[in-house]
Amino acid sequence: MSAFLALIRAAFQRELEHRSRTIVRIFGTLVDILARISIWQAVFAGHGSMNGITLPQMITYALIGGTILSSWDATMIVREVGGTIRTGAIGATLLRPVAYPVMLLAEQLGSRFFDWLMTSLPVIVIMGLIYGVQPPASLGHGLLFLGFLAVSLGILMLSAILVGLFSFWVFDAHSLEWFMRGILAVLSGGLVPIWFFPKGLAEVAHVLPFSWITYHPMAVYLGERDLMTSLFYLLAGGAWVAVLTLAVSFVWSRACGQVVVQGG
Amino acid sequence: MRETLSLLFYLMRLRVRTRLEFRASLVIAWAAQAFGYAGVFTSIWLILTRFENIGGWSWPQMALLLGFHTLGYALGACFTLVQLRRMEEIVLGGEFDTLLVRPLNPWAYLVFSGFNIEYGGHILLGAGLILWALPQLAIDWTVATSLLMAGSLISAALITASMITIISACAMVLGRARYLFGIYFDFWELSRYPASIFAGPFQIALLSVIPLGYMAYVPVSVLLGRPVPYLGQAAGLVGLAAGPLSVVAAFFFWRSCLRRYQGGGG
Repeated sequence: MSAFLALIRAAFQRELEHRSRTIVRIFGTLVDILARISIWQAVFAGHGSMNGITLPQMITYALIGGTILSSWDATMIVREVGGTIRTGAIGATLLRPVAYPVMLLAEQLGSRFFDWLMTSLPVIVIMGLIYGVQPPASLGHGLLFLGFLAVSLGILMLSAILVGLFSFWVFDAHSLEWFMRGILAVLSGGLVPIWFFPKGLAEVAHVLPFSWITYHPMAVYLGERDLMTSLFYLLAGGAWVAVLTLAVSFVWSRACGQVVVQGG
Repeated sequence: MRETLSLLFYLMRLRVRTRLEFRASLVIAWAAQAFGYAGVFTSIWLILTRFENIGGWSWPQMALLLGFHTLGYALGACFTLVQLRRMEEIVLGGEFDTLLVRPLNPWAYLVFSGFNIEYGGHILLGAGLILWALPQLAIDWTVATSLLMAGSLISAALITASMITIISACAMVLGRARYLFGIYFDFWELSRYPASIFAGPFQIALLSVIPLGYMAYVPVSVLLGRPVPYLGQAAGLVGLAAGPLSVVAAFFFWRSCLRRYQGGGG
């Protein structure tokens, strides 16, 4: 556990070193959020509300969903795993006292915490002051949202690590990264919430784990579900995290068998 | 001149032949990249199925815009992105110094020897969206509009290549340039939507110093007969001129950075 925390801290400190990158990231996120808000302002121009959702709610969705929940590019994990395998650096990771997927998780958590603190919060404050941001629907919804935040983070990272580990067999992480990007763009509800989806697609998206990345947490935050239903969804999301953890550990144990160390 | 051109085409052919050695991987890469873009486009389509339009643009109009944006970008990026995105490593690793002593322009060498055919998915998706959208839109096809469309696509490709060249040239002076690509892609994503939905300062930026508004929004608006803010009747001509003008800007910028270059390797 101490190694896990040390890796998180090291990743956080590493991010701290790149100040210009942080400023660029804040600027980039501001541009991205501006685009999202502009889209919703444009489409809501002729509608007071749609499916019971109002423009201020969608601005909050864009602001919090587009920063804390999905601004971070999880597909970079896939690229990193692919690079580690392609260059042979994976051999050295086997010597470490922490399993490679756990190490990846810790490093990504460090980067993500940094991103929340240094990118998401400033952007929420700046854009919130300009366009307005709604608070959680109630104290209970706010507390449950924190649970959903952990589930969102877990599903996003575990699914990216899982996809990345498939590089052991397909050797083309670049393609895996693009497939994942396409799936997340639609099924996470990152840009368009699932309540605007056609019925059939909405039913599929609702049950897949990706919808816990942005859509379910934001639906709870905005009070679109009562507390009991929200709790049920939180437990279901937790079950997905458990399933993905088992899948990662299974795939990793199989992947270790694929490693051939040459030279010496 | 003729010898240089034939050498550049030879370098390009070598690169293509190398990539074609792994055909299955290439086809998977095309499919994967097209799938990634299709995911984003599906999100936009979902908005339009529910709200009918984005800032007055219907789905077939948006599909033409997205197709134009993707195709124009791919035509420019296949010559520039992957090779020039490495400029930071090329400079810091000292590789650029070795290019300077070769009897060939370093920019031309980097661009042609790294010609990337992995944009097949982009091209198929972009062209497919355009071909799907055009019959559904009442465009008055004349020689002028046909030339405008072809010319604007070339202009979009030139804008892409110029902007990537300008960003990569910064590595010669600053040593770092990779993070600037992040800003480029943030604005590039913005430019796949009608510029008219953004606030005034962003519209002005997209139509001037960051000429990404000319990638698709301006030419497609002209083709559809939609008004273009700030440019009015001149939009078509300005759109056609934006590509060559950005090439001139990129040429002088690259040359100026090259003059200031003092070596980045250790």
